[in-house]
Amino acid sequence: MDSCPVQLAACGCVSALGDAAETHAALLRGERALALQPVHGALGGDPVPLALLPGRNLDEESPPSWLPAVRRLMGACPDRPWGDRRHPVFVTSSNFGVGNLFAFRHNGELSHLNYGTPEACVAFIARELGWGGCITIISHACVSSNLGLVLAARQVASGIADEALVFTFDFLSPFVAGGFHALKILNSEYPAPYQAQAIGSIGLGDGAAFAVLRKAGPGLIIAGQTLYNEMHHFTAFPADGSGFGACIEPLIHLASGRRIWIKGHGTGTLEAGRLEAEAFGRSFPGSPLVGWKGSLGHTLGSNGLVELALAVESLHSGRIPGTVGSAAPTFSANVALGPVMDPSFDGVLCASNAFGGAHAALLLCHA
Amino acid sequence: MLERHIAFVATDDAGAEDPAFTRGRLRAGLTPGFGRRATVLGLLIGGVLREVLEQCRDTVIYASAFGETRALADFLDTFPHPSPTLFQTSVHPSAVQQVMIDRQLPIREYIPLAGGPCLAARALVTALLAPADTVVFCGGEERGSWMSGYKMASDRGFAFALALRKGRDASTRGHLGLAPIDEAEGRRSGAACEMPFPAWFDLLHSRKNYDGPVSAEWRLELNWT
Repeated sequence: MDSCPVQLAACGCVSALGDAAETHAALLRGERALALQPVHGALGGDPVPLALLPGRNLDEESPPSWLPAVRRLMGACPDRPWGDRRHPVFVTSSNFGVGNLFAFRHNGELSHLNYGTPEACVAFIARELGWGGCITIISHACVSSNLGLVLAARQVASGIADEALVFTFDFLSPFVAGGFHALKILNSEYPAPYQAQAIGSIGLGDGAAFAVLRKAGPGLIIAGQTLYNEMHHFTAFPADGSGFGACIEPLIHLASGRRIWIKGHGTGTLEAGRLEAEAFGRSFPGSPLVGWKGSLGHTLGSNGLVELALAVESLHSGRIPGTVGSAAPTFSANVALGPVMDPSFDGVLCASNAFGGAHAALLLCHA
Repeated sequence: MLERHIAFVATDDAGAEDPAFTRGRLRAGLTPGFGRRATVLGLLIGGVLREVLEQCRDTVIYASAFGETRALADFLDTFPHPSPTLFQTSVHPSAVQQVMIDRQLPIREYIPLAGGPCLAARALVTALLAPADTVVFCGGEERGSWMSGYKMASDRGFAFALALRKGRDASTRGHLGLAPIDEAEGRRSGAACEMPFPAWFDLLHSRKNYDGPVSAEWRLELNWT
């Protein structure tokens, strides 16, 4: 575990519901961004729950249709010489520009290839945002942004960087929607994270976020980060849920004495939701567990940082959005279905999971 | 200086091998199911990791600019009936996951890096900053299919694996160090200082010593014993 605390000096996000403040407010109102749309975009297919940025289509354009949203998001990022050695950038995604690659393969328009690989897509973003070349690109499916935070914290804590920028993005395309639909976990049902019901399902959403880390100071700190990879199965967890416990175990001691709540992964799949809720119930009895993918959809590689930015809004305001889209009965008693209005919490444990049984968690708290 | 000792190294230069040839060449040393199902990059990574798997208990750093481009290309062509299997294996870091899942080997940290002009340098910094006593650093590329024609996939196959330790012992095969390059010095030299990922592999494969820039920010010292 990385237990050398770093300051979360700034962060922000964009989702289908707007920026971090707008998304937080909409979640508190219980709004659901997901809407049923054809899974293969213009090619049609079954209706599935997707939460796209306002005005954005599933079929990617050239240049990418998400660029204006990224520009607006990064307008709130502190101005630094990002991309020099003392200010490294960590870019994380699970999809990068694969929507453009899909578009090229299906319409043959060569300009899409300017964004079709991780390297090309990140080079495009770096030019747009004026970054230098010290950029590390990380791709570990749905824990990608969590890994970006780990590596950024290490560079800051070791002293080789003054500040580090983590930028994450994942925008939907027929490629990824079609893939999850083929796995039969994206269907025409809306996700209901942690709800004990007969059929599980997920929704998918657009998302991007940034965080600036520096050596620990006042305000919010990331007190510790932990990772664990089960390597049991690509899309299933061991039946005993041991990976969830193995990931969060190092954070239990770090959180002792603090009053924390938990932002879980909670995609809406049944088995993973049950194992996660039970693991948190055992390790953190009395800490409310919430998940927001029933509204925002799963923003894939960006979800860890998108939801961290929303957790920051929650900590600052003392108002924690509930598990939008879910109803009783839930897998464990600690699942909070409605908003939790309590300013006395002084920390939040944020968790994410990914293909391959990958787990990541961090403890965010006041310094 | 960031530094570690090299306790193990394995390389495989598959070059422009046909994927079927690579599969036939490597499957003998792998479990039957894995030899049949794995991607070409999964086979290459599985081959170089074979002797170091027991050291893959804590931290594995994986670098590949392009990843599973053959599965990616094949998946694209399955629409409008996308293949769930190809979707899973087209995900960037699946090569190592294929190997580790086949052997049911959990690990604490798995950190996969993707493309970038300084991929080798970024991966080295990541490996040398990892807190574990033993870090396995592996990577590689598979030769792409139609995507290679657009420079969106590698035109050669290769793979490497290193076990890096903090301390030196009888098994030490070499030493890796990274020192920061002063910005002014870097500007004065004016030399191209990005080490392409295949060039990093070639250094390992040929066991050549090296003392020079690996990126604009870092100087690499690689010495074999």
